Amino acid sequence: MTSPILEARALSRHYPGGVRALEGVDLRIERGEFVSIIGRSGSGKSTLLNIVGGLDSPTGGSVAVNGTPLDFSDRRALISFRREMVGFVFQQFNLIPSLTARENVEYPLLFNYRPPAERQEKANALLAMVGLDGRASHYPGQLSGGEQQRVAIARALVADSPLVLADEPTGNLDSATSEGIFSLLQRLNRERRVTLLVVTHERELASYADRTVEMRDGRVVA
Amino acid sequence: MNSRLAEFFQLAVRQLFRRKFRVILTVAGIAIGVAALVGTVALGEGIRTQAVDAIRTQSDLTLIEALPGVEGNVLQLVTPTRAAAAANLPGVAASAPVVRGTFATRGQTYVQVIGVPADGLEGVLHPAYLRGSGFSPGSNEVVFGAALGEKLQRYEGVRIGDPLVIIRRSYDAQGRPVDEETTVVPVGVMEERGDAYDQLLLMDLDLAVRLGEGDGGYSGILIRAEGPDRVFSVAEGVRGIGLSPRGSFEQIEAVNRMMDMVVIFLGIFAGLSLLVGGLMIASTMITSVYERTREIGIAMAVGASEGDVMEMILAECAVLGVIGGVGGDLLGVLFAAVLNVLGGPFLASRFGDAFAGLLDSEIALVTWPLLAAGLLLAVVLSLLAGLYPAWKASRLNPVEAIRSGR
Ligand SMILES: Nc1ncnc2c1ncn2[C@@H]1O[C@H](COP(=O)(O)OP(=O)(O)OP(=O)(O)O)[C@@H](O)[C@H]1O
Ligand SMILES: [Mg+2]
Repeated sequence: MTSPILEARALSRHYPGGVRALEGVDLRIERGEFVSIIGRSGSGKSTLLNIVGGLDSPTGGSVAVNGTPLDFSDRRALISFRREMVGFVFQQFNLIPSLTARENVEYPLLFNYRPPAERQEKANALLAMVGLDGRASHYPGQLSGGEQQRVAIARALVADSPLVLADEPTGNLDSATSEGIFSLLQRLNRERRVTLLVVTHERELASYADRTVEMRDGRVVA
Repeated sequence: MNSRLAEFFQLAVRQLFRRKFRVILTVAGIAIGVAALVGTVALGEGIRTQAVDAIRTQSDLTLIEALPGVEGNVLQLVTPTRAAAAANLPGVAASAPVVRGTFATRGQTYVQVIGVPADGLEGVLHPAYLRGSGFSPGSNEVVFGAALGEKLQRYEGVRIGDPLVIIRRSYDAQGRPVDEETTVVPVGVMEERGDAYDQLLLMDLDLAVRLGEGDGGYSGILIRAEGPDRVFSVAEGVRGIGLSPRGSFEQIEAVNRMMDMVVIFLGIFAGLSLLVGGLMIASTMITSVYERTREIGIAMAVGASEGDVMEMILAECAVLGVIGGVGGDLLGVLFAAVLNVLGGPFLASRFGDAFAGLLDSEIALVTWPLLAAGLLLAVVLSLLAGLYPAWKASRLNPVEAIRSGR
């Protein structure tokens, strides 16, 4: 039996002043799964995503990636985890305004020491895949919100990270555009076997996923 | 430089390009500082070069006279041992011991006399003769400096080849003056040299000693350095054997000391404006890091290490420094050009003929090393100014950075 791509055990994140953003979260995600997380505002969704993405550290519990525990005290390990294992999509203003769409997609590879030619080729292919081949040299300010999120998704895939984490990627988009983004995510999951963990507020969108995890007050309730 | 750093520089240029106006204002600070520094140093160096050139062309720079020195309150006489040591100093082309004394003519003209070996006269002093030639060894022949020859001819009718009586006055045990007369034969008049030799009467060392000069020792050693570039090391060597070197090189030393002071003093003021420029860069970069908090957080989320973030911010600072340095160099060159066009005539008109040379020469001297130093200083200063903002950026918490609305 292979180990899950991501396994969180008894994860908690307490803030000074008694705020318990996460409290004993267990979460197991198999390779190639498309999991959505829903829950009210403040229920700890972003906190969970940031921790399993290596951006934040838990105050308790553990995270294992492919069966290997993530050492949150090892900065170098966290950086290479972020470089190689995860791609992030945030709610808004994901992109670097001074870079073109293609350069934004390439951006993670800059920190992965890949040669420019390879990066460009890869970025162009991914932009084509998200349907933005014509907009490669446009700046974020020249793209619509939906287009920007497509660029961000392409960026999340560029380092061939097996795990993509998206925190309310459609939070600022109208429902038609949101549907488009989620069906793109679904397609990526099916065609490229990318493991997806996507936070959303809306149940209809959550239904694009294979499975939905619901959070309340820092705990997984369903 | 690795290619990634090169790309950071490319990114830095583009980041800065987005904020053209702010960049221009920021960079102006450092550019003005560099320009002030380049301008003042160029002016100082220009004046120094002018003065040194003037001394070089107007005087016999490679001629040094070693006089008795003082070491720990003890007079160090010019002994034959020291004369031999001086002759063997590196950079010495020729040397000759001398004795000095004072004589009078019957017409009451006082004459400073220097006794030098005949071969030393030719080998060390390299005299050029207006009339006649040098004295021969062991003879009572003498040579006049240009001004002395002119004076004696005009007021006493002394001519080459005519015997001349010179009087040496000494004092007996009772303190009464005793005059001794000697007849010498002038055989040559040197061309004008523009220094003390113009007033001297030169005779053979043996003759001078025979006439009672030198008190059994030498008054000094005439030294000819191999070239202008060896003069200062020879002078050091002379000091090293306990004697005191004299010559027109001292004027150059004096000019250098004075110009060092002037350049350092002006440089401090220019440096202050550079400091202001550095503070402006620090302030701009702190603002820039603050405004781009979210961008930096995203870079971290996609894999930038703390070192990467620092490098990116410092690359921007380096670019600011290069722009400021190049701009400052250009401004400095412009400043120097203005000084050369307007300053020379101004000084020449204020200070008269002595500065006439300034009319057609450069009083501000911009050199490549000076420009390179200006650029380097600007870049180093910018990097220093950027250290704190870069460090701050690298320590940002990615979660908070991404959450921040900036
Ligand atoms: N730096 C912090 N200091 C203190 N409390 C914090 C901090 N960050 C988050 N929290 C708290 O942790 C809890 C969980 O926050 P989190 O952002 O994970 O919620 P969320 O489910 O993503 O909400 P939303 O849907 O509004 O994005 C909230 O109560 C929040 O106030
Ligand atoms: Mg959230």
